[in-house]
Amino acid sequence: MHIQKFEDAMKACRFCFMCRHLSAVGNVTFSESDTPRGRALLLDKVSMNPEFLRSEAVVSTMYQSDLSACCRFHCVSHYDENGLVLAARRDIVEAGAAPENVGKLAAELGKSAAFKVSGKKADTIYFIDRYTARQPEISGAFDKIAKAAKVPYMTITGGCLGKALKTLGFENEAKKAASAFAKALAASGAKVVVVSNPAAYDALKNDCPALGIKLKCKVMHTSEFIAGKLAGLKLRKPAGKASAVYYLESDFLRNYNEVAAPREALTRCGFKLLPFGTNNEESYSAGEGACVLPELNPGLVKLLAEKVASRCDDAKKDTLVTASPYTKHVLTKYAGLKVKTIEEMVSSLL
Amino acid sequence: MLPSTSNYMFEMIRSELTDAVGKEYVDVREADRFAHSVDYYWIPEMWHDRNMPNPQADLIVHPGTAEEVSKVMKIANTYKIPVVPWGGGSGSQGGALPVLGGILLDTKRLNRVWKIDTTALTVTAGTGIIMRHLEWEVNKAGYSTMHLPASIACATVGGFLAHRGTGVLSTKWGKIEDMVMSLEVVLPTGEIINTLPIPRHASGPDLTMMFLGSEGTLGVITKVTLKIHPQPEARKFRAYLFKTFDDAMDAGASLMRSRLRPCAIRLYDEEETRHHVKRVFGLDDISGSYLVFGFDGYEKIVDLEMEEAMKIMRKYDVRDLGSKGGDMWWENKYKFFYPPYMFHMPQAFGTLDTVATFSDIKNVYHAMKKVVNENFPEARFIGHFSHWYEWGCMLYARFIFEKAPADPREAAALYNRVWDLAIRAAIANGGVINEHHGVGLKLGRLMKELYGPAKELVLDKLKKELDPNNIMNPGKMGFGF
Ligand SMILES: Cc1cc2nc3c(=O)[nH]c(=O)nc-3n(C[C@H](O)[C@H](O)[C@H](O)COP(=O)(O)OP(=O)(O)OC[C@H]3O[C@@H](n4cnc5c(N)ncnc54)[C@H](O)[C@@H]3O)c2cc1C
Ligand code: SF4
Repeated sequence: MHIQKFEDAMKACRFCFMCRHLSAVGNVTFSESDTPRGRALLLDKVSMNPEFLRSEAVVSTMYQSDLSACCRFHCVSHYDENGLVLAARRDIVEAGAAPENVGKLAAELGKSAAFKVSGKKADTIYFIDRYTARQPEISGAFDKIAKAAKVPYMTITGGCLGKALKTLGFENEAKKAASAFAKALAASGAKVVVVSNPAAYDALKNDCPALGIKLKCKVMHTSEFIAGKLAGLKLRKPAGKASAVYYLESDFLRNYNEVAAPREALTRCGFKLLPFGTNNEESYSAGEGACVLPELNPGLVKLLAEKVASRCDDAKKDTLVTASPYTKHVLTKYAGLKVKTIEEMVSSLL
Repeated sequence: MLPSTSNYMFEMIRSELTDAVGKEYVDVREADRFAHSVDYYWIPEMWHDRNMPNPQADLIVHPGTAEEVSKVMKIANTYKIPVVPWGGGSGSQGGALPVLGGILLDTKRLNRVWKIDTTALTVTAGTGIIMRHLEWEVNKAGYSTMHLPASIACATVGGFLAHRGTGVLSTKWGKIEDMVMSLEVVLPTGEIINTLPIPRHASGPDLTMMFLGSEGTLGVITKVTLKIHPQPEARKFRAYLFKTFDDAMDAGASLMRSRLRPCAIRLYDEEETRHHVKRVFGLDDISGSYLVFGFDGYEKIVDLEMEEAMKIMRKYDVRDLGSKGGDMWWENKYKFFYPPYMFHMPQAFGTLDTVATFSDIKNVYHAMKKVVNENFPEARFIGHFSHWYEWGCMLYARFIFEKAPADPREAAALYNRVWDLAIRAAIANGGVINEHHGVGLKLGRLMKELYGPAKELVLDKLKKELDPNNIMNPGKMGFGF
């Protein structure tokens, strides 16, 4: 079983309570099984009784994890409880025990992986993923910035580049999708691929090499791209109330990759970053790490979004800034919050 | 007892509970019942590790208000179903385990911060809030509860109240019982009561103190008002290495007798210094007994106190590790509790914490050490002293077997034997069963030995009067089934 590769995490987390306060799902369901300890304990039982893997208890718990990796980020030993859950999902899929809605979604995602490159040949290519495509203001803002920075770019569109499939436990399908993306990318001749969605960033930075897919391109999150171009941009200083914003950490950028560019880009533009909620360490994840949680469990995503809303100083007035189109989408849709992405914030100063 | 889940009567009771707290807050899912069957007590962990089924609750309820808790209690009384409060499950004594099944009342939805009073400097909160979340809320307002236990991230405020818990700054700021202003409690029969709004009075016996440490056997604590404090301007530490543990203990006691007010003192015996302080801090060249202390408050006063404390230390043959040696402890104070630093299977381990006066504490330590070493030569005994009072201090002793017997029953028997002998040695020398982890399932059998006739004459009668159907956390604290 794949979970055996994460035996160290399983054995460490099964009796450890030290990061439960950061368990976004656990904090809204109040269930002990929705904590790193609870999940590891269940999987430890699976390692002793493999037939338990197929139980509703294990399957449903694994598929409602937020996969935020806040626990790994916090843990002094950085045990990979997230990796353990992903391995369990893979085991579940391979055992043919994936829930019907998961199987259906995976089939749709697999079919969607057909990528199209548009625009004139350029060194840079911008990936418009599903969540960015749903919110055209994000790609619009990127376009404005790229033009101001005089960076010609192509676009690549299409469905899942493998990340959502991988998080669902469909490793082979994820590999196929990632290969299709890599092929389209290679054919485009681009040297740099820029993505707005941190999930895509993580897929290209970490999943592709792990799946044996070599990318010839440099991978950048838009915040990194923007931070690199700021010196050449003529930006107004943010003024008045609009200059103070609450930045919400991204699961993928902070907890998986430790990318500091979003904060850097915002502060260098003159925005004052107010502390959101009570503490920077707190997990305000709305399920970004799980990529497709709204499709699987909208009720849970609503709870997560409402939890974030409840931590706002003024949910009606505050502007939240995120580096994740996913987070913008769910916080807007499920909690009615005012959320902007880094691209939008910076382009508003042009 | 609850009827089996195949009996429609089970559904009748479940419907009543659903009506009381809402459908989404009555959980019968196997996943959650399973996760609630193991707390931080070694026995259920070992039982799980040996692939044995732990006893599970039949139903888990997550009430969101005292009124909902009250309704649950009334239903439980009608059908005489056990109710076990569960906060974070981080208790090490098995207190939150649903050993007889029944209803597990998870308090985590009682997590509202009701009020931060910046005039009286108090905070009122639901007891199901995770301590770390409460501390962050209070920090945001510019204050601190000063209750900073190693389990701050995983235990609820209610759990600390139920166990009379303690934090790393207890030496100055007190244990949780010193921090409480008042409580709201749902009695086992479902009535909601409040204790007096202030902790100091001459209006009869103190009801607040009666419920503190009651470990869910006398009711569910649903709301608490705690003192809060301004964040100190400075907090400074200094560490020393003593040649012997006895010298270090004398120095620590002198520091407390001087009536200086350190916020923390921690003294590690030679064994723990050698194995754990060294490993966690990455210090290579240390031996002897490590003592660290700190002061907090206005910087000028902190510096003055530190100077006086250093004078006391200089009277001994010590190596001064300076403020760096002290800061290292503060920065790593919780690191001990994360894997792999914490003890883990296949080890068998337990924290034999007790407390005694300065006249008795060395005897307690040596007696416990002797009894463990002599009876269990394969076990290691280590200890540190982490919470200090004007009159004595707390011993946080631990025993560790590198490998427990594979047979779970043998392992449990061995484990219980260590506790019986070590705790009896503590009691015989002026110690008590426990200082801040509570009694729970682990130590209930020793309550009679500790309290003598007062157990039956006072504690048992109190329990019977408040909980006539014995539904509240049966089997814990020596109250039996
Ligand atoms: C890594 C680690 C470090 C620790 N460090 C410390 C430390 O520094 N200081 C310290 O004091 N303890 C420490 N502990 C022990 C533990 O955190 C405490 O005993 C804590 O008080 C338990 O709180 P909980 O919410 O987890 O309670 P639980 O374990 O859920 O319950 C403990 C007992 O309290 C009862 N209870 C819980 N909530 C209520 C309520 N609202 N009303 C009535 N009864 C209730 C339960 O029935 C049970 O009997 C540590 C534990 C761990 C895992
Ligand atoms: S990730 Fe680290 S802190 Fe969290 S449960 Fe696992 S070992 Fe404990």
